[in-house]
Amino acid sequence: MSNILETSGLTVTFGGLNACDKVDLTVPKGKFVGLIGPNGAGKTTFIDAITGYVPTSAGSAIFNGEDIGELKPHERAQRGLVRTFQSLELFEDLSVKDNLLVAGYDTRWYSFLLDMIYMPRKDKEVEEQIEWALDIMGLNDVADAMPSDLSHGRRKLVGVARALAASPDLILLDEPAAGLDTAESQILGGHLREFLDHDMSVFLIDHDMGLVLSVCDYIYVLDFGKIIAQGTPQEIRESETVKKAYLGEEAGEIQAQAGERMTSLQHDQGGQDD
Amino acid sequence: MNQFLIALIAGVGTGSLYAMLGTGLVVAFRGSGVINLGHGAVAGYAAYVFNELRTSGELYLPWFDIIPEWGFLQTLRINNLPTRIHVFDFEMYIEKPPLVPTLLISIGVSVLLGLMMHLLVFRPLRNAPILGKVIGSVGVLLYLDSVIAVNFGGQNRSSSGFWIFKPDMEPVSNFLGLGGTIPRANFSMLAAAVVMGAFVFCLYRYTRFGIATRAADENEKGASLLGYSPQLIAGINWVLSSVLAGLAGIIFLHKTQPSLYATLVVGALGAALFGRLTSIPMTVLGGVIIGMMSGGGVSLANNDWWPNWLEIEGVRTFMPLLVIILVLYFQGDKLPIRGSISVGRQPNAPASNNVVVGTIFAMGFALILSNVFVSKWEAVLTTSILATLFMFSLTVIVGYLGQISLAQFSIAGFAAFMMIRFVGDGTLQRPDDYYVITGINMPTILGFVCAVVAGTLLGLLIGLPALRIRGVQLAVVTMSSVLAIEELLTKSRSLMGEGAASIQPTPSNPSWFGQYIGGFNKETFRTDYWKYSLFLVIITALVGVAVVNLRRGNTGRRFLAIRANERAAAAAGINVKNAKMLGFGISSAIASIAGIMLAYKIPAVQAENFAIFSGLGLLAFVYLGGITTGYGAVVGGLLVAGGMMPEFLGVHFGDVERGMINAVGAVGLILNAIVTGGEGVALLQSDALGKGPLALLRRNPDEDESSEADEDNATEGASV
Repeated sequence: MSNILETSGLTVTFGGLNACDKVDLTVPKGKFVGLIGPNGAGKTTFIDAITGYVPTSAGSAIFNGEDIGELKPHERAQRGLVRTFQSLELFEDLSVKDNLLVAGYDTRWYSFLLDMIYMPRKDKEVEEQIEWALDIMGLNDVADAMPSDLSHGRRKLVGVARALAASPDLILLDEPAAGLDTAESQILGGHLREFLDHDMSVFLIDHDMGLVLSVCDYIYVLDFGKIIAQGTPQEIRESETVKKAYLGEEAGEIQAQAGERMTSLQHDQGGQDD
Repeated sequence: MNQFLIALIAGVGTGSLYAMLGTGLVVAFRGSGVINLGHGAVAGYAAYVFNELRTSGELYLPWFDIIPEWGFLQTLRINNLPTRIHVFDFEMYIEKPPLVPTLLISIGVSVLLGLMMHLLVFRPLRNAPILGKVIGSVGVLLYLDSVIAVNFGGQNRSSSGFWIFKPDMEPVSNFLGLGGTIPRANFSMLAAAVVMGAFVFCLYRYTRFGIATRAADENEKGASLLGYSPQLIAGINWVLSSVLAGLAGIIFLHKTQPSLYATLVVGALGAALFGRLTSIPMTVLGGVIIGMMSGGGVSLANNDWWPNWLEIEGVRTFMPLLVIILVLYFQGDKLPIRGSISVGRQPNAPASNNVVVGTIFAMGFALILSNVFVSKWEAVLTTSILATLFMFSLTVIVGYLGQISLAQFSIAGFAAFMMIRFVGDGTLQRPDDYYVITGINMPTILGFVCAVVAGTLLGLLIGLPALRIRGVQLAVVTMSSVLAIEELLTKSRSLMGEGAASIQPTPSNPSWFGQYIGGFNKETFRTDYWKYSLFLVIITALVGVAVVNLRRGNTGRRFLAIRANERAAAAAGINVKNAKMLGFGISSAIASIAGIMLAYKIPAVQAENFAIFSGLGLLAFVYLGGITTGYGAVVGGLLVAGGMMPEFLGVHFGDVERGMINAVGAVGLILNAIVTGGEGVALLQSDALGKGPLALLRRNPDEDESSEADEDNATEGASV
């Protein structure tokens, strides 16, 4: 059993449109796997599908040898499949450290009784994990601050730290580098590979080719919901299909820009015509 | 069968009232995104104004004289705030003031109320989180109900409405060949509801104002980009909503006592939800259907085969709740939840670190007071402590978990009655008691535990809808459950014993470990027994420490995580459903304990002790004190009507009416929601003293930066 996550034929349909179309993808244990693709390719939908936030219409997802297709989001998280969100989604009313504590500790049915007499369970492993997560994301100095007092980039790092605090088997990072300034990107990028030393596998989504090519062991490329290419960073760099997908996008963008210029020109020239 | 059909048709009268009030609710919702729980009270106020003008010619303004009669104020000639205007001079009993001017003045008062609601309450709260808006509408409800009580005495009124709605017209006999008779007024009421609905429908469909309202309702940001001011639109809709409420109140004067309108809003909520808070025709239809269901249900309940533990009045009050639950269950995810342009923060809920010191201090203070005080003051002190004890239940469910349950005080009442039933031994408790208490003769402690369990189970049942719905919808369900619990359970004679429907005597000799701990002092014949105070202080301290500790531990962190973002909470491995049930369980257990402790204090309890306005008043004061902290509950307990603060003020500045206390509480509640975002008086010490009180006022602009992300969170969180 060497694969931590294995999807086969995973399909997500939104009103007739296949946002993910028969995606076959594997994340080997202890490896760093990336998923890239242009905007709207279905990357986030794929994460939403395997974490249970959108229903799948076909296919299966096997996590640690267990079919997780029917599980609720929190059940998947409890089994060690933990994600971050592109759009922050922090607990705004809790301090940074409390954000991590929530994710770090699981509860038993009697936990609330212990809490009432202030005898909370202290788990050395969990505490260490949280310390490590704060440390690696450079959040030690703001552990007691509220998320709303931090910059957007640091809030993003809190999101990653919160996922790390849960000691996941597989961490799914949804565009963690988007919106980070240079210093913050370096903190993140410099430590991503270290995640692997803490008994976890990593699955990274991003459209920043540079980051993905530099940290991943293996890369999948998604376009219009379909896997169009896969391979090592070297292979992806040289793949014609990938170039075409990205080039195609670029070409489209150039056209769009040209079109915009034209419309604005028309607009400037004559309001009377309309 | 014919009997049943007749009953169905007879229900159309009440149904028309629901339809009219529901129409006004939808108007306010479309205009501002607020479900106004105080809508019925708005109708009630206008109805009282109309009635008072017609009987005495006096116009009562919607406030009361708050200026005390202190010497120096008198010398400055600051005597009083005008509260009434003499409008009509006429010979009483012989003639009546003219109808049309009376109606116009009443509508003018409705316009004033609508403007007040918009400008003083909901406009300042436009960016508040849902809790703040719900609290604002609870404030409106409580304020108007209190002012009605002070200004009009809340007595029954002989009707003075329009003749076409009079019930004493000759009834329609043999309607559609069914045999029975139907009040003729039902038809005019239905016609009035349909006309009103058609008017609003056309207004929204064919006028520029209506289109602007619909645009703002669907996309506030988009509408403001097109040059419509959402706040102007909201203001006009508030006035319209208030006028519709006033008209409904006046039209139904013959059928309903104006004091009942405030609670009749439940049926109107059902109607508005039936119309998905959007469609006026469906709202009118929904109101009529709910009215018919109530009529039909009561008719069925009159049959022999009907189980007599299901009280008739309970069936009547259950019908709107049933419709509300069904609509929310099947349509809940399709109901519009309006995202305002920016959403403010939830009240801060800091963990407290000096629990032991704080508790010892509070206990010591309470015990010293209890020894200093004699008689009346001891009873006042225990009133405050009881309120604090109950408020801890709201700290957990509303403060920590962010679930707005308005039914917790009914759970307290249910548990109190259950305790009496469990320990009842079929004997007369006091020589002058009217009823014996029958039951299963449990020892006091066992009865206490079983009643707490029963109350907790009821709380879990009420919490069930919270698994699917949230925010204001939950507030609507829980508010509707209050009446159903009261009529179906607490007042049920077969469930609770003979006295349940009127006055239920409490056990005269409650003893824990051989000690008499009842509040009734057998020597002074007052509720001032010192052992009760001691017992109550200990119980309250234990509960308080437990509640504060919850926040310090992982359970509280999880609750706050759910309050902030259910979607992310699930990603952090939190079982949101279980945690919500846990919150409802803990809160209901605390509420049950408070209810039982109240029953230990006084010689007899009534279902009215736990009525909706008492519960809302307690919510108001704990929100004023600070809903998220233990201190807040202590402060709230001191402020509550009949508690330390008002009684103390009463001694020094002359007695104040109970209604006034609640009205002051309602104003404080709204102010608190606006100024501190609900953090309350208790947090002022920690927050404001550090940065200066102005920091609190300045906080709002900062929030606009993060508003866009917050809005996304809010809408996404709501769609999970």
